[in-house]
Amino acid sequence: MALKERPKPFLLPEYCKGCGRCLDACAKDCITLSDQINPLTGLIPVVMDLTNCNACGLCMDACPEPYGLRPAPEGVVEDFELEDPAKLFGVKPSDAPEPVDLPSEVMPLPTTEPLVIKGTYASALGALLAGCRHVYGYPITPSTEGAELMAKFLPKLDGTFIQAVSEVATVNMMYGTAGAGLPTMTFTSSPGFSLMLEGVSYMIGAELPGVFVDIMRGGPGLGNIAPEQSDIKLACHGLGHGNTQAITLAPSTPQEMLDLTMLAFELSFKYRNPVIILGDGYLGQMTGKVQLPKNLIKPGIPKWAVYGDAMHRKNVITSIFLTETDLEAHNVHLNEKYEAMEVETRAESFLCEDAEVLLIACNTPARMAKGCVQELRHQGIKAGLFRPITLWPFPIHELESAMATAQRIVVVEASAGQLEDEVRLALSKAGIRNYPEIESVRRMGGILPQQDEVMTQVLGHKEARV
Amino acid sequence: MSKSSVFYDKFERHSHGEGLKGHATHYCPGCGHGLAHKFLAEAIDELGIQDRTVAISPVGCSVFLYYYFDVGNSQAAHGRAPVVALGHKFANPDSVVVSYQGDGDLASIGLAETVATAQLGAPITIIFINNAIYGMTGGQMAPTTLMGQPTATSPAGRNEYMGQPMKMAELIAGLDGPVYVERVALFDAKNRIKAKKAILKGLKNQVEGRGYSFIEVLAECPTHLKMTPEETEKWVKETMEPIFPLGVKKDLTVDPWFKRNPPSFSGEKLLALAGATSEHPERSCKGFPKHLAPHDISLKLAGSGGDGAQTAAMLIARAAINEGFDATHIPSYGPESRGGTSYADVHVAEEEVLNPGSPTPDILIAFNAPSLAKFGPTVKKGGTVIYDSSVVADAPSLDPSVKMVPVPFTGIATDLGKAVVKNIVALGALQAATGIFPKETLLTAIRVALKDKCALIPLNEEAFAWGIKSVESLAG
Repeated sequence: MALKERPKPFLLPEYCKGCGRCLDACAKDCITLSDQINPLTGLIPVVMDLTNCNACGLCMDACPEPYGLRPAPEGVVEDFELEDPAKLFGVKPSDAPEPVDLPSEVMPLPTTEPLVIKGTYASALGALLAGCRHVYGYPITPSTEGAELMAKFLPKLDGTFIQAVSEVATVNMMYGTAGAGLPTMTFTSSPGFSLMLEGVSYMIGAELPGVFVDIMRGGPGLGNIAPEQSDIKLACHGLGHGNTQAITLAPSTPQEMLDLTMLAFELSFKYRNPVIILGDGYLGQMTGKVQLPKNLIKPGIPKWAVYGDAMHRKNVITSIFLTETDLEAHNVHLNEKYEAMEVETRAESFLCEDAEVLLIACNTPARMAKGCVQELRHQGIKAGLFRPITLWPFPIHELESAMATAQRIVVVEASAGQLEDEVRLALSKAGIRNYPEIESVRRMGGILPQQDEVMTQVLGHKEARV
Repeated sequence: MSKSSVFYDKFERHSHGEGLKGHATHYCPGCGHGLAHKFLAEAIDELGIQDRTVAISPVGCSVFLYYYFDVGNSQAAHGRAPVVALGHKFANPDSVVVSYQGDGDLASIGLAETVATAQLGAPITIIFINNAIYGMTGGQMAPTTLMGQPTATSPAGRNEYMGQPMKMAELIAGLDGPVYVERVALFDAKNRIKAKKAILKGLKNQVEGRGYSFIEVLAECPTHLKMTPEETEKWVKETMEPIFPLGVKKDLTVDPWFKRNPPSFSGEKLLALAGATSEHPERSCKGFPKHLAPHDISLKLAGSGGDGAQTAAMLIARAAINEGFDATHIPSYGPESRGGTSYADVHVAEEEVLNPGSPTPDILIAFNAPSLAKFGPTVKKGGTVIYDSSVVADAPSLDPSVKMVPVPFTGIATDLGKAVVKNIVALGALQAATGIFPKETLLTAIRVALKDKCALIPLNEEAFAWGIKSVESLAG
């Protein structure tokens, strides 16, 4: 029986770094270090004399370079001329197929009676209806019920709920699932959101979708578990390091918790960017009427995903761009995306057409403010409420029309002016300089501004009890 | 032996594949990464899993793993690779996910993720490159730096004030989650064969759904150890290996267990879970109870935790919504809800609840004296206060326009044999005292809430009836 001849090693000196691992692998001492610097690499490749070579192959096993010591290609003679590597190894970088989008399916839901559920549950249902079957989370009051509902429902839908070791782990599990192209989300509250921001920056950099429901609570630090609008600044201007932005939605009813969660998934995939939902502790706990939508979504797989199959093999999810010009180009691209997101502004203008006193508020304080508007109208005062639903991008054009007749503007919020700062920044950026002095009703520490406080501000005196 | 087909034919991602970079790695001469890459590529090849593989590149010198491997690639934040790996694995259980990490990544900044993921035990494969030093940041102390070893941040050698080297293979093997843990090395042909086998086994365990595998590779970093490649191999063998002994640390025989069904997107299933029904509840209301407030009635229910104020509040909200009105319920929550004061704000609106808070309620239901004292004075003029006369001896004097309705919630409930139904007695009293909704409206809400505990329905109906009777007897 004739033994098949084993190939002897072959080396292009350009791909040898001269580490010498092959030297002691060779029992025949065929390989030696040299002192000749290779002019192309500046390194000193090994020198081979294959006279005694028995083609044992151990040198090739020892070589760490993919294109280092290799079996001699057939027909290659020892004193061969340097060839173009592309000719030797082929020009095709990969035989991986060109991925295509596997689209989501919209499936009809039968009409049902409205549910009576709390805000966090409504948001969880919204996520399930949007096709999210991968939820990661770390318990934190007052957002935990959302995660609890997911922990109960997802196993019954063959979905995945994992209680992560921390919020840092949570956001990175989301990074993985989002990288695989699937919808994913978490429930958290302010201190937890702070911890997630590293990962949010990576998700934005790597252009990954994902939905963060942040039920804001009193801060800074451990603060307390009562409602505050404490993270507006963080969501609109502080999403980790780098030039980061994300659409930020501010629901004010349990119904909106469901609707905006569904919308968040849609926008998140549309722009390949995280979407933040800011709720407040009240809204998370508030029970109300929630009508389910007409459809549910069965998600597809986008073409950019790293799903772990043949179709998506050529993809990479990354936020690193080592070359400065590459990273600048990436930032330009991200900024173009942020600009494109400006069409997504949403706002509610309640009785603003002729409003002389314009209240501006979002989340639960917007409902207190709405109560005020009605009360003020009863008293013959032309009041209106402007409620931004997207805090970023800020609905400045909507505000501009809502404030057309305003003689007074009162920002009502449960924070030290975080919403007001958004209003002022948006006005400034839009070049709107002619507007009344901005007044404010602010509470902090877990206390929401109450209707009577707003009334007092607007009327200039404390109202007698009705 | 030959270049594995798992490596790209040209490293386009390495400086756009220009010049030699198209076919050379970025690793220094003598670096251990190249061999570990090669063994990983060969194992992927041998198992025929190139299409299914997702390689997680962490921060560290191997951050550019995706330059070379023609597989799905995902690059992770420093230390987070194992949880990114989990995110991929659960997204597609058929994928084969490899988390390839250095010592700073795995044993320092990502320790929480490393340990938690190991203990979770889902089948992923961790390849841990331990070279006792930080490479990418330029030779600082690693968690695995040896005692006495000088580094950029331990210039006089690591000493007792800098802690001891982390023995990760032993630590991971001590957990219940992993099925296979081995420490291997690259410094000679014999050990290279073992390393190759270990990586293959770690992947195979995943492919077969047997569980989590961890392969620690003692690797060389000549650049930062400031030695020649040959000296570094010797250093790993003679100095490092005694501290980090090679070998299998754990190898369990485990049947394949990781099998996940594809997620369900059945609308029917989801609606059932949500408790949504197409059945239209019977409506009994003729119109909005405008005698209480024109468009929006605000209620407050206050008591101690366990009084059932929240349940009663929820039932009022449900009853209202079943009748086609809008309603909201905000509970007090947090530490307060655990045995302390428990109060609920409820609104019932003809069209839309504007302000869901009830700072000045039209109706107060007080389950104890402190609640009555606290919230009684906030009740609107002409409003109604219903309170538990079994526990409130002296009601405070409120505005004369406020209607006071004393009902012995506790007494009635106790007589019925179940103190917990006192909130239902209160609902009966609410109905009789205010006429907010017809009896049937509230009873329907109670029956629906108890649909899984039908046996309790008669008792609750009785409690409700007694609440009504009690108010009627006051009038009489």
